[in-house]
Order: sequence, then structure tokens, then C-alpha cells
Amino acid sequence: MTDNVAGGGDAAGMNIRRYLPQRRTLISLAGLVIVLCLWAVVTMGLKLVSPVRFPSPLDTWSAARQLIFTGYGGGLLWEQVWHSSRLVLLGFAVAASSGVALGIIMGISRRAQLFINPTFLLLRPIPPLAWIPLAILWFGLGDTSKIFVIWYAAFVPCVLNTLAGIRTVDKTLIAAARVHGASPGRVLREVQLPGALPMVFTGLRLSLQACWTTLVAAELVGAFFGIGRVLVIAGQDIYPGMILVAMLCVAALGAGMTKVLTVIEQRLLAWRFA
Amino acid sequence: MSAIEFHNVGRKFGAYEAIADVSLAVRDKEFIAIVGPSGCGKTTLMRMVAGLEFPTEGRVTVNGRVVRAPGPDRAVVFQQFALLPWRTVRENIGFGLTCTGTAASEKRKLVDHYIKMMHLDGHADSYPHQLSGGMQQRVALARSYVIDPDVLLMDEPFGALDAQTRTVMQEELVRLARDNPRTVLFITHSVEEAVYLADRIVVMGKKPGCIREIIDVSDVRTSEAWQELGIDEVMDLPSFVHLRTRVWRLLRSQMDDE
Ligand SMILES: Nc1ncnc2c1ncn2[C@@H]1O[C@H](COP(=O)(O)OP(=O)(O)OP(=O)(O)O)[C@@H](O)[C@H]1O
Ligand SMILES: [Mg+2]
Repeated sequence: MTDNVAGGGDAAGMNIRRYLPQRRTLISLAGLVIVLCLWAVVTMGLKLVSPVRFPSPLDTWSAARQLIFTGYGGGLLWEQVWHSSRLVLLGFAVAASSGVALGIIMGISRRAQLFINPTFLLLRPIPPLAWIPLAILWFGLGDTSKIFVIWYAAFVPCVLNTLAGIRTVDKTLIAAARVHGASPGRVLREVQLPGALPMVFTGLRLSLQACWTTLVAAELVGAFFGIGRVLVIAGQDIYPGMILVAMLCVAALGAGMTKVLTVIEQRLLAWRFA
Repeated sequence: MSAIEFHNVGRKFGAYEAIADVSLAVRDKEFIAIVGPSGCGKTTLMRMVAGLEFPTEGRVTVNGRVVRAPGPDRAVVFQQFALLPWRTVRENIGFGLTCTGTAASEKRKLVDHYIKMMHLDGHADSYPHQLSGGMQQRVALARSYVIDPDVLLMDEPFGALDAQTRTVMQEELVRLARDNPRTVLFITHSVEEAVYLADRIVVMGKKPGCIREIIDVSDVRTSEAWQELGIDEVMDLPSFVHLRTRVWRLLRSQMDDE
């Protein structure tokens, strides 16, 4: 669990914090192990589910080995993972930088917000996947069209959360900075941005999630490589073990990237836990 | 020339008239306390001096110049401290100096001086949330004092503090005002605080907000040397009790008008 509780610096609180991490890990691991055991019992022990419907842990393990060592769907595991991750990272980077920037502009300028909002409200309800045909028309079947769709999906939460973050910064803090001589630029850097940071990161997390959802969907529609491609081929081959491996890959990559984001956030918000 | 002048100042919020026809001249280095019923426009009046709000009628001048924007010559101490939570005590106190581009060595010296003066030694690298309310308000005071403003504006600065801390802070403020006099506008709901601290007390009335009476305390204060005494000693003096009753009656009559 990553959500840390702010405050509570008393002796009792410190004690709880000191022994909880190991215990937390233990409890979480126990949960995973139990799910694994249940899975094994249901599929291999009791044979309640046919292996064609749902793979056993052993099937999944052998599918994973196949993907790692001999490859599947046109590439080895790391090639497929790299291909998808690269697209997600590119799309996310473009969406995060442009989204946060637009959020800031709309946050500090009413005029900019009024100017941009109608367009934004019009485009917002369009699901990212509805852009795929147009994206393919513009950029072809290659990576560019996928990056475009990922960008669109990830852009919206970045803008909205950054905007809300900037708007909800305590007005008294801004006034205090101004009466002590801060220029508008300094108010932005020293007060509005740091104040908006928690919400910016909420936006980035949602945005990252949207990246993976959209990428996998886009790869299902048409791709030569990537985890989505593995899923499509495994589906055609009726290969449940491989389907599950691909799904687990997405889960692991999504969780890993979110973790990185959380670590960066905790670094930047370290003052909260001082 | 007076330090702060209100010339027939009025302020409307839409159709609602919050302040009407306020005229007041605050002398250089004078400590003015403003008391009045809630909603009579005390904060609005102060924000107009700070440049955070503007009159719809008349004008506000500081050192002869019409106020058009906030500036470090008019520092504000807020009731809710308004310290940057992500900056340490040292960084918060030095904030204004950073804005004005003071040299690092000079800044360090000044900040250290105020850390000592405000009894914040040992907390220089703490974050605001690690301090008590009284300490946080001392940081806010230091942040305003350190930039050496012409005018100090304080909006119920001790309102969020407990009674004991409040007394300590009041005495500290008297000490600061004695050793380092400045023009001060001080808003408070406490009549005792106003009488103890101020040279003159402005009693406001409402609907619309206006000045009802100005009470001069400075003669009694200097003749009886209040600034050398603690607040509890001053509060026992007959002259203090008399003034307190007078201000209190005025204030009550403003509230009864509702
Ligand atoms: N931005 C604003 N928009 C509309 N009305 C406002 C605004 N600011 C203040 N007012 C109104 O002006 C009046 C005076 O407000 P102000 O905050 O100056 O009162 P105050 O004397 O400081 O009150 P308190 O003692 O409760 O702090 C109030 O009736 C308030 O509702
Ligand atoms: Mg007020």
C-alpha cells in the first residue's frame, strides 16, 4: 500500500509506522499465496474448470516460459514488453507535459479557460478508441497512430486535475506571497505549482492507467508487435495460458510504472512526512 | 504626510455596500487597532491598504501614493498564518528577501537574527506543520518584519491562538513595537488586546461599514509607561479598565443596532 497517512508524529504513531511495513507485506503476500493455492486447487486438484476455459498455474507457467525463451506472436517476451512500454511511455510523456501545461495555463488565466473550455467540453466525451479509425487514416497502422490515441486518452485527466489543483490552492497563501513581494511568476513557482502537485499526481496516475487501457485496445485492433498482439494471436490459437500471461504482463507493467510515479511523488512531497 | 490615508473610501460588492465614506489618517509609526462587529468591513479595509482589494469610491494612499498593487512595503500577517507548508521555517522567513533579491549572506544574517528574536532557535529547518500555532504565528511575524515594511497589516493575528500563547504574543508584539516602531494596522475582536496594544483604537459600525469613533490611548500609555509592563499588570490599572469599558460600550452599541 502506498497511501501514507500525513501527520501523526506522536510516539504511538511512530511505533505503528516502524513495524507495519513488514506486517503489511506479509499480509499482502499471504493474500497472493492463498489466491494461487485456490487457483491450483480449482484447476488442477478438483478440475472444476476445463483447461480450455481457464488455464492452470502450470499451463500458465509453461506459456510464460515459451514467451520468454522461444517467443510468441512475433517476438520474445522482452521485445513485446519493450514495444508496448515504449509506446505507453512516449504517449504518457507527451500527454503529461502537454496536459499539465494546458492545465496550468487554464488554471492561472480565466480568459484562457473560457477560450479553451468549449472545445475541451466538445472533445471530452469522445472515447479514445473512437479516434482509432481517424488516427489510422492520418498516421497509418504504425506506432504514431497509437501514440496519438494514447496521448488523447491520457491528456484529459492531466488537464482536468492540474486545473483543479491550481484552482484549489489556498487563496490566502497566494495573497501572503504577493504582499511579501512575489511576482506572478514566483507565485506560480513557489505557491501554485507546489500546492497543485498532489492533484497533478492524481491526474498523472489516472492518465497512466488510461495509457495502458488504450494501448492494449489499440493493439487489439491492429498491431504487428506488442502485448496486445500476443493477446490477439493467443485468442485465435485458443491458448488460455498465453492469454493469461499477456494479461499478467499488462498488470505487472501498469503496477510497476504506477509505483515509479508514486515514488517520485513521495520524493517531491517529502515535506509532508518530515 | 501621514503614512496611510483613507479618503472617503467606499467599497461595494455588486449592489451590497460593505464600506461607505471612511476617512482616516494614520501617522507614521502609529499603532492603530480596528475593532467592530463581524462583517463591518475591517478585513476589506486592510486589504485595500495591502493592494489585494480596491475601493469603488475614494482612494487609499500609502506614503502619499495611491495603492495599486501589493508590495513588500506593506506586509500582512494573516489570522491563519499562511506559511508555505512545503518550505522550512528558515525559507518561509526568508521568502520576502528572496523575492526582493537580497544577497544570500545578508539574507542569512537577517533570517538568523529574527529566528533568535522570535525564539525559534532549533526549529529553523522544521516545516510549519511541525510547529505549534504560536510558533507558526511567530514565523509569520518574522516573515513580515524581516523585509522591513513601512506598514504592517495584521488581521486578527492572534485569533487562532489559545489564551496563554496569545498573551505571550501580545507582550512580544509590544516589545517589538517599542524596540522597532512601525506603522501598524491591527484588526482584533478583543477589546483588551486593542487597548493594550494600540495608540489609537478605531471603532467601526456596520450597514454600511464606517468609522464610529476613534479613541486615543497613546497619552495614557506613555504617561504610565505601559510598554514597560506586562499585560496582566496593565490590565489592573484603573486607566486601562476605564478605557476598556468605554470601547466595550461603543462596540456593544454597534452590535445592538442589528
Ligand atoms: N469578495 C467579496 N464579495 C462579496 N462580498 C464580500 C467580499 N468580501 C467581503 N464581502 C462582504 O463585505 C462585508 C465586510 O467583509 P469583511 O470581511 O471586511 O468583514 P470583517 O469586518 O473583516 O468581518 P470579520 O470580523 O467577521 O472578519 C461582509 O458583509 C462580506 O460579506
Ligand atoms: Mg475579517
